[in-house]
Amino acid sequence: MTRYVMVADLRRCVGCQTCTAACKQANATLPGVQWRRVLDIEVGEFPDVSRVFLPTGCQHCGDPPCEEVCPTTATYQRDDGSVQIDHDLCIGCGYCALACPYEARYIVDEAEFAYGMEPMPNEAARFDEGKIGVAQKCTFCIDVVDAGIAKGLKPGVHPEATPACVNACISGALTFGDKDDPNSPVSKLLAKVEHFRMHEDLGTDPGFYYIWDKKPEDLM
Amino acid sequence: MPDTRLLPTYCYNCVAGPDLMKVKVEDGVATEVQPNCDAAGIHPANGRVCVKAYGHVQKVYNPGRIKTPMKRTNPKKGRNEDPGFVPISWDEALDTITQKLSKVKQQGLKDEAGLPRVAVSFGHGGTPASYMGTLPAFLASWGPIDFSFGSGQGVKCVHSEHLYGEYWHRGFTVCADTVNTNYVVSFGANLDSSGGPCATWRHAAARARGCKRVQVEPHLSVTGGTSAEWVPIKPKTDMAFMFAMLHVMLFENARTALDLPFLKDRTAAPYLVGPEGYYLRHPESGKPLIWDLLSATAVAHDTPDIDAAIDGTFEVIKAYEQGPDDERFEYQMVKGNTSFTEMNDIISNYTPEWAQSVCDVPASTIRRVASEFLQHACVGETVEVDGETLPFRPVAIALGKTVNNGWGAYQCCWARTVMATLVGALEVPGGTIGTTVRLNRPLGNRLASVKPGEDGFMAASLNPTDRDNWHDIPVGRNAHSTLVPLLGNNGAWSQALGPSHLAWMFLDDAPEGWERNSYPDIWFIYRSNPAISFWDSNQMTEIVAKMPFTVAFAYTPDETNHMADILLPDATDFESTQLIQIGGTKFVEQVWKHQGVALRQAVVEPQHEARDMSWIATELAKRNGLLRQFNQALNKGAGGISLKGEGYDFSLDVDQEHSPDAVWDAACKAATSFFSKGKEVHDLQWFKEHGFYVVPYKREDWYLYPTMVKQNLRFELPYQERLIRVGEELKRRMHEKGSHWWDLQLTEYEAIPSWHDVPTHYEKALVNMGGKPEDFPFWGITTKSAQYAAGSNISIQLMDDVGRNVRGHGSIILNAGVAKQMGIERGDRIEIRSLVGTTSGRAEPVQGIRPDTICIPGQFDAWATPYAKDLDFPSLNTIMPLSIELTDGTGSGADLVRVSIRRLEAVA
Repeated sequence: MTRYVMVADLRRCVGCQTCTAACKQANATLPGVQWRRVLDIEVGEFPDVSRVFLPTGCQHCGDPPCEEVCPTTATYQRDDGSVQIDHDLCIGCGYCALACPYEARYIVDEAEFAYGMEPMPNEAARFDEGKIGVAQKCTFCIDVVDAGIAKGLKPGVHPEATPACVNACISGALTFGDKDDPNSPVSKLLAKVEHFRMHEDLGTDPGFYYIWDKKPEDLM
Repeated sequence: MPDTRLLPTYCYNCVAGPDLMKVKVEDGVATEVQPNCDAAGIHPANGRVCVKAYGHVQKVYNPGRIKTPMKRTNPKKGRNEDPGFVPISWDEALDTITQKLSKVKQQGLKDEAGLPRVAVSFGHGGTPASYMGTLPAFLASWGPIDFSFGSGQGVKCVHSEHLYGEYWHRGFTVCADTVNTNYVVSFGANLDSSGGPCATWRHAAARARGCKRVQVEPHLSVTGGTSAEWVPIKPKTDMAFMFAMLHVMLFENARTALDLPFLKDRTAAPYLVGPEGYYLRHPESGKPLIWDLLSATAVAHDTPDIDAAIDGTFEVIKAYEQGPDDERFEYQMVKGNTSFTEMNDIISNYTPEWAQSVCDVPASTIRRVASEFLQHACVGETVEVDGETLPFRPVAIALGKTVNNGWGAYQCCWARTVMATLVGALEVPGGTIGTTVRLNRPLGNRLASVKPGEDGFMAASLNPTDRDNWHDIPVGRNAHSTLVPLLGNNGAWSQALGPSHLAWMFLDDAPEGWERNSYPDIWFIYRSNPAISFWDSNQMTEIVAKMPFTVAFAYTPDETNHMADILLPDATDFESTQLIQIGGTKFVEQVWKHQGVALRQAVVEPQHEARDMSWIATELAKRNGLLRQFNQALNKGAGGISLKGEGYDFSLDVDQEHSPDAVWDAACKAATSFFSKGKEVHDLQWFKEHGFYVVPYKREDWYLYPTMVKQNLRFELPYQERLIRVGEELKRRMHEKGSHWWDLQLTEYEAIPSWHDVPTHYEKALVNMGGKPEDFPFWGITTKSAQYAAGSNISIQLMDDVGRNVRGHGSIILNAGVAKQMGIERGDRIEIRSLVGTTSGRAEPVQGIRPDTICIPGQFDAWATPYAKDLDFPSLNTIMPLSIELTDGTGSGADLVRVSIRRLEAVA
């Protein structure tokens, strides 16, 4: 089996939002839509304070609450563990957005562009009417992953088969790959470090791991 | 299927670059920035670019761009005057400029005051040079140009590090040897926001392997957040913390904890100091004396086979001191302290308990940090680098911007560098290293810039202060060579690093006994917005409006080009071509194992009427009859690489006009010939496909130490004998001229720096400006933003979109406890007032800031720049006074101001 997961090393992340910007361009999302983003969380009270930078987005759960509530089966899970949306089936009811404990889903009812209602040439070139009025979220850049695999490349190893946020990350905080493959970069990494998953207690079996050398509750 | 291409290019938006990337172009439209994965293992961040680079796409298509050349129709200039810009042709624009330049030529290139009639200002840290194509060749062909008018650089940069870092260890910029270090004390160095991909990548890897960083700063920055520990120090008291660290190292530990061989052989620690404060010198050779413990006599510093005394006072039979202006103090049987002992005498005053009372940090914390620094220093250990055995000292100290400029910065730079020397961690693996030179030649090769100089030190390039050669009449409007000896007089860089606010201030009014500056006849401005990027934006705007004729290379309307006479829309980074050198060691943490060149190519056609800067430069040269000189300058390397060298000659015909592509084709061939030593020649087309060409760069060359050993030189530390002589001479020259307005700055020339109460200095300045300290109870500071720092990104929507995820973006950060006391909630609109102005914005109460401090990230307050003017973000610049009293001896100042807070309205 294959289970694609993302690993974010919180010791490395600096919250620069390079992944956020790279995701926005790679997936041509509209202003305000951030399939990948990094939370900037302050922890503690003065003077014992720190900041934690937490990349987030769709956790590609093993037991996704969004799929469960979807009335049209638009949200579905692939054999590789990733959670996807069929925009042709989605009716934009928003149940999935409410059900997602990670606030990872967006619905845009009317396209507004970076500088108003008129798209710039780069926006016009990439605009997808099919994403208006329906749920959208991180896909793990699955088209890139699939195309890379078709070329014989390995996701998480070869950039041409790897999500844009991982390729772009300037701190080396993000790693992607198949957790069921013991030789994948994610498996090797997780085997040697302390890690946790967000809201694991909800039983969602998230596919997003956080490397953290302190207690998870220190984040909350 | 669309025609999709992935084209290599570079981003050099800020001094932390250049970084390599690729651009996806679909049917001729740039849609996406990607890392250049071909550079994995070559570029220190494996070919990745930071968030700012992703803004390039919107920069191309931003509807707010200036679309054609324009001329002003309203002769009145001012913030409230409509410039009445109307479109004109490139021909009309260039002809108008040529007419102005011709008039200047007729009148003489310098005015009656001896100042250049043409002035040019560039933006951040020299990075515009990587976008201006062949413009430097036009400037070189013209003749004298005043680079005095800064837009913040020269005073708001890490100014003291630039001057003293380069003076002491050829470190115009200084960093930790991050990939090898294990312990870093960072005084406000916010590298995880402003260090670009290279610093971010290197520090992230260091953290993951266990390197500890202690961040000492009033506001918990991003870098503070990623550090192992945050120490919330009172603003501008860093020197007290560092002096106390020195105290712990010198008085609470055995001497054997220090690197005694390094101190004896590679520093001036053993040099004996006489009663007048100058080195005791050998009566015949004039060489500084040191005390040899083996022979129990004073000997010249370069005497072989001796054991130099570090500590102590020794009696010398015969010696002299060399004072200012050739004064000589002769002695028989004179006692002299070692420089090390002189330092100890001063530092003995600065216990951790004393520092606690100054910087509001527990003495125990300071003591622990100093001890950890010592424990991690690995004194005595070595490491193999490129087959050479070098000292291994994995400890470093980093300084941030406000620590590193203005009053107190000299002391901080000195203390940082001396701490490195005490454990032998200067310019060695794991330690504190410089990365580039700008005030010495050759630019870009700091090792080659090391030449033996006086007294066993590196040769220094100082401006003259002797009676015969001092520049009593400034050569430029910021008087850099007159007022700041350390700047040298090495061309545009020296001048641009002068006290550039004085250039502006003295246009309006000059101190008693000092000539008011003349206005330049023509002012060119490129990638720079001094009206709001300097201090006291209202005053700056008024001064900018008085420039008689301003030519602005203009991307969008902005607050400075609002006052321009001609706007020239130059091509953006994606629309034009240039070859630059990459690799080796450069600014910030650009520390490579390779060196070579990279191409910035026009990945898309220029929008509207925008033109490549190289085309504009060629037209200016041609229309002004300077084509021959222009081409000669290009052949000599004004385009970044000499077109003729050993074994190759791609020189341009000096009498012909050449297209930008022809120029860069020659540069590509010359560069590859140079770096491959003639083995490979690649043309422009090759670079358009491959992007960059590199050859290995020796890691040993990251460090200056081997060069110092080879030339048997000493670092000029801890004692600053040469500088006190220079300072005294400068004082005499100024007084002889009848000028006393620089006296305060002259107090900075101390052989061993002592405590300067900077917070009180600021309060006194406030009183002298007519304010009451009790009316302004808080410190106002700023912090850099990864999305905006030096990226010309304020009009880029994407940056605001992603920047909103960052705490404090576009807001005023204040302590949550203080906010509660004042009834201020998150999002409330608050006003920050200083003596010179107000700025307002949304409140962001946080735990990670001292109660006595507010912090305004970034620098905004735009009122003309499209998109940015509607953001309604606050700016510290608006409320910072332009002040001589707040200017230090190097000519710089700090982003620091006393302020009050007032709640304006509740959040909706």
